[in-house]
Amino acid sequence: MGKQIDLLQGTLDMLILKAVSLGPLHGYGVLLRIQQISGEQLEIQQGSLYPALYRLEHQGLIASEWGESDNKRKAKFYSLTAAGRRQLHSETEKWNRMAVLIASILRTTSEEV
Amino acid sequence: MKLFARLRSWFRWIVKPQQLENEMETEVRFHIESYTADLVCKGVPQPEAMRRARIEFGGIESHKDAMRASLGLRWWGELCADIRYGVRMLRRSPGFTTVAVASLALGIGANTAVFTLAKAALLDTLSVSNPESLRLLAWTQDDKSVVSSMWGDFYPDGKGHTLVASFSYPVYQQLRSQNHELGDLFAFKELGGGLDRLTATIDNQSETVTGELVSGNYFAGFGVGTVLGRPIEPADDLAAGGGPVAVISDAFWARRFGRSSAVIGKAVKLNLVPITIVGVAPKGFTGASHVEVSPDVFLPLTMQPIIAPKGDSSLLNDPEIWWVQVMGRLQSGISEKSARASLAVTLDQAVRATMTVPKDGTLPPLTLIPGNRGWLSYDDRQLQQPSLILLALTSLVLLLACANIANLLLARSASRQREMSVRLALGAGKARILRQMLTESLLLSLLGGTAGLMLGYLGRNAIPRLLSASWGATPIRSQFGWPIFAFALTISVLSGLLFGVGPAWQATRSIVNAGLKDSAVTTTHHGKGFAGKTLVIFQVSLCMLLLVGAGLFVRTLVNLNTADMGFQQNGLLLFAINPPKVRYPAPKNIEVLHQIEETIAPLPGLESVTLSESPLLAQTASNDGFFPDGQPRRPGHEQSAMLNSVGQTFFATMRIPLLYGRSFDFRDTSTSPKVAIINQALARKEFAGISPVGKTFKTEEEDRYEIIGVSADAKYADLRGDPPPTFYVLYRQQKDARHGMTFEVRTNGDPGGVVGSIRSAVQSVDKDLPLIDVRTQTEQIKASIAPERIFAAVTAGFGVLALILASIGVYGIMAFTVGRRVNEIGIRMALGAPASQVLKMILRETAWLAAIGIGTGVGVALLLAQFLRSMLFGLKPTDPSTLAGAALLLFAIAMLAGWGPANRASLIQPMEALRHE
Repeated sequence: MGKQIDLLQGTLDMLILKAVSLGPLHGYGVLLRIQQISGEQLEIQQGSLYPALYRLEHQGLIASEWGESDNKRKAKFYSLTAAGRRQLHSETEKWNRMAVLIASILRTTSEEV
Repeated sequence: MKLFARLRSWFRWIVKPQQLENEMETEVRFHIESYTADLVCKGVPQPEAMRRARIEFGGIESHKDAMRASLGLRWWGELCADIRYGVRMLRRSPGFTTVAVASLALGIGANTAVFTLAKAALLDTLSVSNPESLRLLAWTQDDKSVVSSMWGDFYPDGKGHTLVASFSYPVYQQLRSQNHELGDLFAFKELGGGLDRLTATIDNQSETVTGELVSGNYFAGFGVGTVLGRPIEPADDLAAGGGPVAVISDAFWARRFGRSSAVIGKAVKLNLVPITIVGVAPKGFTGASHVEVSPDVFLPLTMQPIIAPKGDSSLLNDPEIWWVQVMGRLQSGISEKSARASLAVTLDQAVRATMTVPKDGTLPPLTLIPGNRGWLSYDDRQLQQPSLILLALTSLVLLLACANIANLLLARSASRQREMSVRLALGAGKARILRQMLTESLLLSLLGGTAGLMLGYLGRNAIPRLLSASWGATPIRSQFGWPIFAFALTISVLSGLLFGVGPAWQATRSIVNAGLKDSAVTTTHHGKGFAGKTLVIFQVSLCMLLLVGAGLFVRTLVNLNTADMGFQQNGLLLFAINPPKVRYPAPKNIEVLHQIEETIAPLPGLESVTLSESPLLAQTASNDGFFPDGQPRRPGHEQSAMLNSVGQTFFATMRIPLLYGRSFDFRDTSTSPKVAIINQALARKEFAGISPVGKTFKTEEEDRYEIIGVSADAKYADLRGDPPPTFYVLYRQQKDARHGMTFEVRTNGDPGGVVGSIRSAVQSVDKDLPLIDVRTQTEQIKASIAPERIFAAVTAGFGVLALILASIGVYGIMAFTVGRRVNEIGIRMALGAPASQVLKMILRETAWLAAIGIGTGVGVALLLAQFLRSMLFGLKPTDPSTLAGAALLLFAIAMLAGWGPANRASLIQPMEALRHE
């Protein structure tokens, strides 16, 4: 396990939307998928995932349904709604623009000023 | 869309809080167990895995709290908790809650009842489409106006002229056909005032109904249809007498026909003219004249000559008599100014085309007045001042109630200081405590508001009932609808905030450290006692204001009731008879009235019977020119006098003493020379120093009368003011009894007992003649001073209420003061102060509070009482005995309220007091 990175403020919602966009997941599954796709490099406090899930559902960005987990247990599965898909799309775009901008600023050398 | 999703999710969990808890629990457990299982798979031993899973998950309860907050449920939960806690606090002190809710209920109830009245009198508009665009045509009359003959109501315009809204029918037709910018003009004429009412004969039963004559385009102009049948249409209104049809009001339909749909096509008689009912107007439609009550029947204007004839000729062709009201709608895009200007030109042309205009005569100058309240309700402006005064008085009562509760809350917050300190010490935010306290206040005020609304609902008809004559319809209909609920809710919340904010703010200022020590000495800092005393002084001054108001209005009523009327009111029964013109054209109407007089007179139980054109003290009167023969006509000298046309035994029946000469008697018949009796005021005015008996005078129409006697002065139309100069003539010597006459019957016993025999006696003369407005003279007088009675009753009630509230306030603050000073008093007594000195000390404090409050109250009362001047009778607004009486009463009550605590203070045992903390 390499060095872990603290999650940037406000990015947890985006990550959850992304994780759920790949297929319905229960809360624990969301945690696992984020860790998996981040290459185990992101530190998320496990409990704080749930307030975020509830907030997104409250806003209508994800929907939930009770179902059965792999180990035959009752679990609540979250999936992306149409509104959530739009939100993820616009957040992704915003993030990418920001990243490009920040990167270009940080690349600036003294000659370019 | 997003908001909707949130609301839906919020609502879903609000209604199923238990399911939410279960789901959260299941979800969290599933997470932890799954993680534990994964750890076990990686080789961590079971107990260690479970421990790590729990630690890494974090505090379960705080996460659950965050989850609830995510759903927006947190403030809801807190609110529920606040309310539960508030209810518990209120239930724990039932005495306080009862006093607070009761005083609020009375305050809010009074405000609601008065607001209901004021809304009806000032705010309601005609229930037609777009009432704001309606304009009523009116004009101001001066001395030289070409128009001299009018039938209808007119009002002083406040600038010395008369505001009139009547037009002649030919002028209306010209106005309508000519070019102008005020839409299609429609016309109407109320037939409801006094004896203008119609006699309806339905299924051989006769009764009186009110009516409105309307033009053919009236219903279309208002944008009002019918719920049954059809409205009156232009085709009904083409030629005189050509449309014998009627639309009836919803109320009349319900009252007389039980809402039967068979009413359409029913043949009835109005003033003995056969009429067919063709439609029923919608509920809430009140015609064009009033905003409160609807005429019973609507008839085409062109039915006037047949249904409501005035004189011999039809008013439809008469350019001299101005009697119809005209309304139009302001069109969008056209300014009021240009609409008026264009119509004024048309009016001038119409007047010149229909009347001969003398050289120095002025044409009626047109004004447009808002038509949204109708013409007769336009006069409700008169109610504006009384309504505002009543509203002001009721809000003073509410303010007093609020001050009272604030005071009680302040005292309570002193005793809750420890609780607040504990909460603050445990980390409650000030905002949170403020919210808790305000929730309690609002809970209290909403409870009071609900009770007040119920009180207002029960009392909603009390004021209109006081206003209306017992024999007539209620002029104002109280509608208890959404505006009233909204008003009650608003004032409840406002008063909750008003009395809650101060004590709540006080509560957050608790000092944690001092509060927890719970010592009487340290918890009460100077500020609180001071705030409480200021509030009590405020209460006493408010109470003083209300007491002065009550005193002034009650004394006004007493003065009116004891005013010398000049005649004997007890045992008199009044009723009117108006022989319809169709059957009794003049002078046949006088003959039938005389026949009725003769028929009634011998009935058992009756002392004497007479009749008069105007009943006394009924706000109606006639006047005429009075030109004594042999005296030059003096220009500038008001040569007119009030006139009443009466029966032969009028003076004996009314018990008005005759001072000189003789009364009317058998010698004065319809064919004998015309005779008159004048009152003392007229004798003094026109015949100073000489005996008027035997002198002759002429009236405006050149009728010559001989004066045969002088009577004592008696009040005529109005209780206020001195009896006006008046002359009395015999009705049988007149040409006409235009509006019927009122019979005055003096009975031996109960006036009500003879109504039955009189009714059958009248019906033996003509079965189609109903008795109109049967009442006693006493009821008539009571009705003429209805506003004064309302003010006296309402303000006296407020005064008593204010006294109770103020004495609660004084008692509360003195009990609080004594409680705070137990220690000090104990020391004083231990050092040898006698009980009587302690008693005096506390009473002196009460006396100071009361004196300052009363002083302030008197000052403000002296300033404000000026506004009441026009409503008082027989005393000045600064009447010293009323002020002194109110001050003494209030002082006595305050001292009485302070006596209890003072007495308790004087009974303090020094040893106990010193041990008391």
